[in-house]
Amino acid sequence: MPHDVTMPQLGMAQDAGKIVAWLKKPGERVVAGEALFEVETDKATMEVEAQAAGFLTEVRAAEGEDVPVGRVIARISETPQEAASASAAPVVSATGPGSSGPIPEGRAVTMPQLGMAQDTGIVVAWHVAPGDKVAEGDVLFEVETDKATMEVPASAAGYVAALLAGEGEEVPVGETVAILSDRMPDAPMRRTRAEAGGTPLVVQPAAPAPAAPAPAAAPPATAPAIVRPAPTVLPASAPQGRILASPKARRLALERGIDMARLVASGVSQPVHARDVEAFIAPASAPASHRLAAGTLRDGFTPFATWAAETAGITDATALLAGFAAASLRAAMPATGPLCIAVTGRGADRVYPDPDDRLGRTDPAASPMLPALILRDLRGSRITAIEMGTDRAPVLMVGGRGDALTVTLVWADGQLLADAALALVDGFAGRLEEPLRHLLL
Amino acid sequence: MTSMKATPEPQADRSNAERYLRMYRQMVRIRTFEEQANQLYLTARMPGLTHMYSGEEAVAVGICEALTDTDRITSTHRGHGHCVAKGAEFRSMFCELLGKAEGYCRGKGGSMHIADQSHGNLGANAIVGGSMGIATGSALRAKLFGQDDVTVCFFGDGATAQGLLYEVMNMAALWKLPVIYACENNGYSEYTKTAEIAAGSLTARAEAFGIEAFRVDGQDVLAVNELAERLVARARRGEGPFFIELETYRYHGHHVGDINRDYYRSKEEETLWKTERDPIIRMRAWLVEQGIAAEAEIEAMNAQIRKDAEDAVAYAEAAPYPDPSEVDMHVFTDVLHATRIGA
Amino acid sequence: MREITLSQAVNEALAEEMRRDPSVFILGEDVAEAGTPFKVLSGLVQEFGKDRVIDTPISEPGFMGLAVGAAMTGARPVVDIMFGDFLFLIMDQLCNQAAKTHYMSGGKLNVPLVVRTNLGATRRSAAQHSQSLQALVAHIPGLKVALPSSAYEAKGLLKTAIRDNNPVVIFEDKLMYQDKAPVPEEEYLIPFGQANIKREGRDITLIATSSMVQVAMKAAEALASSGISAEVIDPRTIVPLDEATLLASVKKTSRAIVIDEGHQSYGVTAEIASRLNEKAFYYLDAPVLRMGAMDVPVPFSPVLEDLTVPTPDRVAEAARRLCAGEMIHAA
Repeated sequence: MPHDVTMPQLGMAQDAGKIVAWLKKPGERVVAGEALFEVETDKATMEVEAQAAGFLTEVRAAEGEDVPVGRVIARISETPQEAASASAAPVVSATGPGSSGPIPEGRAVTMPQLGMAQDTGIVVAWHVAPGDKVAEGDVLFEVETDKATMEVPASAAGYVAALLAGEGEEVPVGETVAILSDRMPDAPMRRTRAEAGGTPLVVQPAAPAPAAPAPAAAPPATAPAIVRPAPTVLPASAPQGRILASPKARRLALERGIDMARLVASGVSQPVHARDVEAFIAPASAPASHRLAAGTLRDGFTPFATWAAETAGITDATALLAGFAAASLRAAMPATGPLCIAVTGRGADRVYPDPDDRLGRTDPAASPMLPALILRDLRGSRITAIEMGTDRAPVLMVGGRGDALTVTLVWADGQLLADAALALVDGFAGRLEEPLRHLLL
Repeated sequence: MTSMKATPEPQADRSNAERYLRMYRQMVRIRTFEEQANQLYLTARMPGLTHMYSGEEAVAVGICEALTDTDRITSTHRGHGHCVAKGAEFRSMFCELLGKAEGYCRGKGGSMHIADQSHGNLGANAIVGGSMGIATGSALRAKLFGQDDVTVCFFGDGATAQGLLYEVMNMAALWKLPVIYACENNGYSEYTKTAEIAAGSLTARAEAFGIEAFRVDGQDVLAVNELAERLVARARRGEGPFFIELETYRYHGHHVGDINRDYYRSKEEETLWKTERDPIIRMRAWLVEQGIAAEAEIEAMNAQIRKDAEDAVAYAEAAPYPDPSEVDMHVFTDVLHATRIGA
Repeated sequence: MREITLSQAVNEALAEEMRRDPSVFILGEDVAEAGTPFKVLSGLVQEFGKDRVIDTPISEPGFMGLAVGAAMTGARPVVDIMFGDFLFLIMDQLCNQAAKTHYMSGGKLNVPLVVRTNLGATRRSAAQHSQSLQALVAHIPGLKVALPSSAYEAKGLLKTAIRDNNPVVIFEDKLMYQDKAPVPEEEYLIPFGQANIKREGRDITLIATSSMVQVAMKAAEALASSGISAEVIDPRTIVPLDEATLLASVKKTSRAIVIDEGHQSYGVTAEIASRLNEKAFYYLDAPVLRMGAMDVPVPFSPVLEDLTVPTPDRVAEAARRLCAGEMIHAA
């Protein structure tokens, strides 16, 4: 039975040995215990004895070659010419792996990007040789950048099918420097970039995407607008925008849908504890808002108000406007009972209960009543477009200067149905354009 | 100290023929086991590191042949020889060396921690001198319980530098415990000559406690066995403890990777021990000369042992590793998986 | 119920177990006629003789080694290590041998032994007779560690330890040897890995071991008068640790302080606090605090020594700050 000759494990922390010299020639007879070859490790050079008697055959490692521990380097056979069996690994020529021919298939190992502003790296030393078996994490080679020298480990186990850069060569980041294959390569390759004529081999899918710089930590959108004076125990260095809360407080807030920022904005001091969350009654969250805009061909309201003041003694133009709005709303929502319109803008806010009594003989109410509509009178201002949040009631805005007026309605889900909103805006705009409609309808 | 001088080769007692052959056979089993273990390591098929007993076979065999399965031994990092001599079988040992589930310790101990409870081997110990307390405690238990078993504590010359030896010899002598301290003096404390680490005489250390001490040629299995038989019998009668210094030699380095050792001992010295004083060669020559066995029978015995060892290696190499779930088993006797407590 | 001292409780536990099981014996310095310097073992040698209450030379590594060997071959030794500080002397035998033998032998060998030793400062004994080294042994897989907090626990835990098939280290509080507690006449065992809720509470959990249990109880008393309801839990064994009881309490109270007389850094308090953080994080309303002995060798001068251990006042103060929602150690 032939006996495999392997690179012996000679020291406690040794994983390869260099064959200094073969002391027997292929085909020569060997006796068990006879020195077979000389090995050099980092510690010393020593002779390795044959473990069996026979003939030295199938010498697979040349003098000067570094061989990993455990690798079969020859056989001791029963006859001097015992042929390599079909399953035996191919005999590697004494000149080592080939430097020409097709590049073996496998996973590309590329020059890694090791620094922020680095575009090449120098291969300082290879820690593996073509044909070597590597485990995940084994160091493949050493790279030098302007900053430092680093070891590059294998990202997966396999065999070294090709080394495509020489020691000392500078290689652009992303360029393939080695190929790892799943199976023992048939023709492991070793060449330098210079030998390859400098044609870079970039294996497309393997080219690592440049690491995107981590986005600067943006303050979260929920950053509190108001922070109460910090309690004295709060560290002065508490980072801006970071809400300090106990894990339990955060969990409770999450479970109850409470926005921690709103809680802090409401005046809760930090760190927020569970009891603060439990005591906080969140306002109903803002429902979705809707907006509807219309324009008039002309401003019919201003002359009408002047006429009403002169002929009918109705001097409160705001009440008149509120009456227009109330009538429009009642037309849009026929079943509506008494209506109250709140008017803001142009001075003090006022509330008009039932202002749609035709020419609006109404007075601003003294007692507050929940308005059905908020009317915002922006006529004469420079505001042309408005995008406001919803309020406790639909907000109807009148703006514009000169001839034409604009009407905008903003409302929340549940405040108006879409048809009513359309009717309200169209009706109100129509009344402003042609006030007689108000009197007639 | 009583020195067991190299006496003229004894005449064989015919009624003991089987015993002589068994001692020879056990020595060859140890040598063969170590050759296989060495190959496993050199070919990187065995994880970790290991320490070869080759050359010291007569010590383990001569002593363990004087013991029964109820007698205990404690062993050392260089423990394969003690384990084989105390009755262990190859398969479970090679499985242990390779970290396999069928190993004596289910792959959890490895080369340096093989224990074989069934034959009274309380285990190898990777702390030099670490088992001296255990051996003495085993002897204390025998005395307290009125049991007549004897415990042998194997340790090397290097371990005589550990203070624990003197603490436990003191108590063993005070309480007359049935323990035999077997100091295998192979001449080297790791990579250092014993003369450089041990002042004075080794046997005098024991004698200072009033312990009877002996020096014997550790390459002569018959001499070792004759002394061991006598001391074991006396220890059983409550006449212990005893101390034996066995002059022996390790053929390999401190551990298998310790190959380049010219700086602490010469090739010539090694060759001399291997050719002139080898315990197996000596015993074989004596067996033939005394007409106990013919060369052909011995050759056949050697071949059978080699085949047993090779079969055991092949078996161990093919044997399964422990299931990963075993990693946290055997931490406590009463908890199946230690890291799952309260997890 | 009758009240006996912790010392008597230990003595009773040993006597009962030695009567029950002839393989149990005691090994240590001055354990026989002297009955140890603390007189804990007085009278045992008269009943069991010098073969089972064995005076050893002053050789801690040696007799610890003997105990390992005796245990591996069928005996149940109870080793007396006179001061917890001397644990350092037996580290190889305890941690490399006793703790690992069952595992290294693949479950074939057992080491059923007990190391009885003690802990506790403020006895004016200075740095080499005052340490509380439970974290040291709790760190080593294969060792069980019990920390009785009263005579009742001392007896029940020691009896369980002697019957356990694993090496167990049990630490008695040397300042508590003369403290009395109710101990039943009839036999009982306290199982390992079962914490004892000493006092129920709502606002904060005080997890305290051994000598620190009475400190925590006093702190809880003080806190009650200021309207804070503290729960006090004694884990009783730290290996195995009754994590479930600790977690349930902390999930309820949302706050915890862990108190142990070992040095604070890398200690028992750190381990327990860390587990609470890992497994009850989303229930915590305040950081889990550790309160251990100050990280200094124990000084001799009483004025200095008293500064090094947690006191009821300091525990109560820390609890108040946590309950008030103060940000402790925020910077």
